[in-house]
Amino acid sequence: MNTEHQADMTCRGLASVVNDFVDGTLDAAARGRVDAHLASCAACRALAEDLQTLTRTAAALPAHKLRPEVWGRIASAIAADRPTPAASGLAAFWTGWRVAAAMAAVAILAVTASVVVLRTPPQPATPGQAPAVHQSAQDTVQAVDEHLRIADEHYQQAITQLEKLVATDQAALDPAVAATLDKNLGIIDKAVRESREAIKAQPNSQLAQTSLFEALRQKVALLEDTIALINTMRKGDQAGAARVIGGLSKS
Amino acid sequence: MDRDLVTRLRRGDLSAFEELYRQQSGKLYNVAFRMLGSAADAEDLLQDVFLQAHRQIHTYRGEALLGTWLYRMAVNACLDHLRSRQGRQQKATDFFEDLAIPEPMASRSWQPDRALDRLDLEAAIDRLPPSYRMAFVLHDVEGHEHHEIGDLLGIATGTSKSLLHKARLRLRTYLRGAPPSEAGRTASAAGSGDAVRRGA
Repeated sequence: MNTEHQADMTCRGLASVVNDFVDGTLDAAARGRVDAHLASCAACRALAEDLQTLTRTAAALPAHKLRPEVWGRIASAIAADRPTPAASGLAAFWTGWRVAAAMAAVAILAVTASVVVLRTPPQPATPGQAPAVHQSAQDTVQAVDEHLRIADEHYQQAITQLEKLVATDQAALDPAVAATLDKNLGIIDKAVRESREAIKAQPNSQLAQTSLFEALRQKVALLEDTIALINTMRKGDQAGAARVIGGLSKS
Repeated sequence: MDRDLVTRLRRGDLSAFEELYRQQSGKLYNVAFRMLGSAADAEDLLQDVFLQAHRQIHTYRGEALLGTWLYRMAVNACLDHLRSRQGRQQKATDFFEDLAIPEPMASRSWQPDRALDRLDLEAAIDRLPPSYRMAFVLHDVEGHEHHEIGDLLGIATGTSKSLLHKARLRLRTYLRGAPPSEAGRTASAAGSGDAVRRGA
């Protein structure tokens, strides 16, 4: 023990109060004795500084982000546990979502366009009309429902097209990569099913809708990346393929 | 505000559960993630907690805030999960004891005069024995007082302090290497002298 430098507190004494010291719960007199000991004992000073750094870093750890599709799964489980009547319509509830639905539909058109560019000969663009992005603030709940339905349809149409392209050209993929992609698609499909169940139980749930569209968006992104990978491998661009696979693992 | 929500929850109104989820899921998910060390386990636990709330909302008496009631449920579920995970290797009665000798992490970036990387700290927290991890997460990450931790885990306040003390020293050993000084060894000895008992 390093007791030669201080009369009032030993290293053992310090050890018994070091957590209270670090947590700031010592009274002034005890803190003074600790400070005096730390001023003359390098080992105890290093211990106290390390514990202070530990607690400071722990308190500042960033929050983990919860995936938006989780609510769909939970809502589905609760609904299955005890069926509940659907919630009543809330027009104000949908205000922000109307914009999101329109954006989703616009995004899907962009995805479809990129697929068309990748293919030779070009495939026909997604059928149907894109919903208008700009809507007046006085739109009714029915109009919102219609936008959601259209956005969902656009996603489904794009997914169908993308799946056809992938099915046609999947042989170009390494079997291990293809298996990983299949597994990931299976996980996303499960999330889509659970989200649809949640919406069935709770048609007005914005979280359930977000869950569904997030899962659909992920599916489109994964299929789009798969096609990009197929095209890159066809060109013999191994480095490009590695980059795409790297991106897949992050999606 | 809680009273209206509770009334709707008791009716089984799914939109009320959605409201509760919006309010509480972030906090519950984070504590579960820190305790269990994986996103998949934390999501499963979150689902279990909401299902449990759905089934037991009629037992909620309003003595604590609804969020506190749910948080306690989540912490207990974490405890059960960790016990069952540990139970495969060890008797349940040993849950609050840990006699293993800590080994430093293979790659340590927390060298003298260098900042502690948060990723290293998270990896080190994952290595802590369950009881140490719970005390450290609840106190140093979540910011609970020892008496609250004692209440949540069903242990004495002194036990919570002892577990936290050991957890911090264990983390230091993981991150810095073997106890580098007389002070570290002395501190370990001081911590191990505390009574560690369950349900006191």
